[in-house]
Amino acid sequence: MAEGVVIDTTFWGTRQSGVAALERELTRLRRAQSAHARELGRPIARASVLNLIVYADREEHARRAARSIADLALRHPSRAIVVLADRGARDGTQKRIEMHCRLPIADGARLVCYEQILVRARGDADDRLASAVIPLLVPDLPVFLWWTGTPPLGSRSFGDLLRLTDRLVVDSADFARPEVTLPVIARISDEARGRFGLTDLNWTRLTPWREIATAFFDVPAWRLFLDGVTGVSVGFAVDMDGRDIHPSQALLFVGWLASRLGWRPLEALAPSEAGGLLFAIARPDGARIMVRVRPRFERGLDEGDVSGIRIKATAARQLAEFAVKRQPDPRHQTATVLLDGERRWERTMPLPSPAIVELIGEELSILGSDRTYEAALGALVELA
Amino acid sequence: MIFGGSGDLAQRKLIPALYNLALQRLLPATFSIVGTARKPLSHEEYREELHKAVAQYSRTRPLNEEVWRSFAEHLHFVTTSDDAGYEELRRTLEQLDFALGTHANRLFYLATPPPAYKAIVEAIGEHRLRGDTGWARIVVEKPFGHDRASALELNEIVHTVFREDEVFRIDHYLGKETVQNILVMRFSNGIFEPIWNRQYVDHVQITVAETIGVGERAGYYEQAGAMRDIVQNHLLQLLALVSMEPPAAFDDKAVRDEKVKVMRALRRIAGEDLSMNAVRGQYTRGFIEGTPVPGYREEPGVAADSRTDTYVALKLWVDNWRWEGIPFYVRTGKRLPKQSTEIAIQFRAAPHQLFSRDALAGLEPNALVLRIQPDEGISLRFGAKVPVQGIRIRAVNMDFDYGASFMVDAPDAYETLILDALRGDATLFTRHDEVDQQWAFVDPIIKGWASSDSAEGPALYEAGTWGPTEADALIERDGRKWRKA
Ligand SMILES: NC(=O)c1ccc[n+]([C@@H]2O[C@H](COP(=O)([O-])OP(=O)(O)OC[C@H]3O[C@@H](n4cnc5c(N)ncnc54)[C@H](OP(=O)(O)O)[C@@H]3O)[C@@H](O)[C@H]2O)c1
Repeated sequence: MAEGVVIDTTFWGTRQSGVAALERELTRLRRAQSAHARELGRPIARASVLNLIVYADREEHARRAARSIADLALRHPSRAIVVLADRGARDGTQKRIEMHCRLPIADGARLVCYEQILVRARGDADDRLASAVIPLLVPDLPVFLWWTGTPPLGSRSFGDLLRLTDRLVVDSADFARPEVTLPVIARISDEARGRFGLTDLNWTRLTPWREIATAFFDVPAWRLFLDGVTGVSVGFAVDMDGRDIHPSQALLFVGWLASRLGWRPLEALAPSEAGGLLFAIARPDGARIMVRVRPRFERGLDEGDVSGIRIKATAARQLAEFAVKRQPDPRHQTATVLLDGERRWERTMPLPSPAIVELIGEELSILGSDRTYEAALGALVELA
Repeated sequence: MIFGGSGDLAQRKLIPALYNLALQRLLPATFSIVGTARKPLSHEEYREELHKAVAQYSRTRPLNEEVWRSFAEHLHFVTTSDDAGYEELRRTLEQLDFALGTHANRLFYLATPPPAYKAIVEAIGEHRLRGDTGWARIVVEKPFGHDRASALELNEIVHTVFREDEVFRIDHYLGKETVQNILVMRFSNGIFEPIWNRQYVDHVQITVAETIGVGERAGYYEQAGAMRDIVQNHLLQLLALVSMEPPAAFDDKAVRDEKVKVMRALRRIAGEDLSMNAVRGQYTRGFIEGTPVPGYREEPGVAADSRTDTYVALKLWVDNWRWEGIPFYVRTGKRLPKQSTEIAIQFRAAPHQLFSRDALAGLEPNALVLRIQPDEGISLRFGAKVPVQGIRIRAVNMDFDYGASFMVDAPDAYETLILDALRGDATLFTRHDEVDQQWAFVDPIIKGWASSDSAEGPALYEAGTWGPTEADALIERDGRKWRKA
């Protein structure tokens, strides 16, 4: 009989018999911490500002997520409820839910109240998972649900947890089949009509690319090219074996342009002979735009990350090319503007490649829905 | 004198409370505790049984054996299955008075099932158990009656032997520190009372949520339901404390006068209003903290077609100057996801918003939440800027944690109440006109539900959820939401 992983109690804290015992233990730990703080002459307040539910189905993912949250405790003091659905323990294991808790101190000098709870489901606990999470939520605080991996869209636990949630955070880079999952997530978020906000860490990674693309067209002389785009090319990183991965980050970029500029799909996405995708979409004036999404082998990049963009446009009988390329280092990007083949502008700037913890940190400061993302996702879904 | 001195309440609450009072040296120097019941027990057996009970249920642990030994010397047991038993009880009390030199000051505590109350009170009268010299008081456990008429009848019976100022109707909620804190917070702080009215308050929510099911109390609960078990007493008490006018003094008369006044102002729900303002529910099987639990109708002792309410949600109005037009939404239920009793005052949104809609996406109106149990405390929700560039506003909570601030455990409600009864302070007990008003409010709702034209019965909800969807509709119709308690 598979018993699943053994829980490391130095990391996850001692096991508690139920919610009441767990709350008592946290109260005890808090009191001990504030007594300690008083001795040091430092005040401590219980200053949680959010509930963060993290769902993971591997202990190592759960642990990594918990470390990230601990690192964020100063910026986002939270109660983190890490749900570990222990698939390893599925067969034959009696269904049951176990809870552990701890107050990790991120930083010895500053006493931050960050409460870490592990809810571990053993066996197939899909039907009862939420009943263990609901009583652990701190009343009145917003609830973020960070789902690591692919959300099991039809499952009861996903639906139940989503109902509690103000903002769902996923990472489409981790989806096994983004082309299947992204449209369903878009539909769920659409049907929820703003009941919860949706975000995708893969979208957050695009931020510097979107910023620079916006910056191009902030220049009044170049703004008119926006209506005359004729071609878009987006490169994305693949590893050496050129394994087939879904370019969801690159497509989100195209979806974003399409939703901002009113481009409509013309034809289905088609694989290009040179690898990647090649397809046409229509400008509001009906003209065709050729879109190419091409895989590139790049060292030092995560698979799927955008490696460069190129936008071609005509206006006032001039041909313009706006390009952004990642430097080989790959911590910088260079933006170039060519007018009729002539280099008019070039600039190299740092390209942050934020770790998950920073991406999450950014997302946790937003509560409302990210309408730009939802529109980009909508456009992507229409394309696919 | 504890009638029903061997029962569940005595073992779990009363004797542990008395023991803890002894531990804190709060009991008088000379006292005796006499338990009675119909089934015979020797003094030794009785002490043995209570020793186990206190070891198990006392809030202070482990049991201090030395204190227990001297405490146990004061414990006695008399069997009162017939008149001879009551005669023996009188003799026992007289002997104890004589031996201890106490002046026949007697506190009678009715801790038997309610059907026995009548016979016991009559026996107290007939067998002259009151004694001749000292004071006599009687504590009556809840429920006091099962409707307005039976409460009145019980009252008349009690009044044949005791004056109203000698009657202490207990609602243990009032003995909780945090419940008393409602009054302290409202009336000893300058900042709350000016905004405690229709000008600033949008609405009030009161939640009494239990995770437990009916357990072994089906016999009683089938007759009572959540309406009689919780709403009639605990919930209406909480409502009275948050909504009452400031009393002129913190004494039994002034406080209870104000509570009765506000209960009178509570608009009755009857007839056509019922379906719009009241929802009853019953739990079906589900999960509590990840463990499967049976549905109400599957519980032992519950009828397979029971229509008993295990959940009640109400929309209430207090028709007076202070609260005109401000709804009070209250709910209680068994097998809800979380044990929690709290009162939330939801304030109105700021009249004019300076900030953009996006910046405000995370903002909710101010709320003051009084947490009664567990985790006693107070939290205030307000909007604050998120520490990023630009303005994003988020609701944050400022928490006052009662336990962490005073670093002590609050005394049990029964300790407070027994001590008050011994001292003769009735402030935290329910006066008859109060009980009468509570039933006057509750009766028409129960009658409406029982009447033939509301054939639907309670709405079903899965154990481990926050009640039936009908209850969500009750509040969402007004564009509001239940708090995530
Ligand atoms: N248990 C609680 O947590 C709780 C909470 C709030 C209020 N209450 C109230 O407290 C009261 C007692 O409840 P409980 O749970 O303790 O009940 P219980 O466990 O059934 O105990 C009843 C006690 O009364 C005695 N008794 C029963 N019928 C009697 C009679 N006709 N004459 C004299 N004694 C009699 C019983 O002993 P014999 O059978 O040997 O006589 C036993 O000692 C009830 O009114 C209940 O509503 C209880």
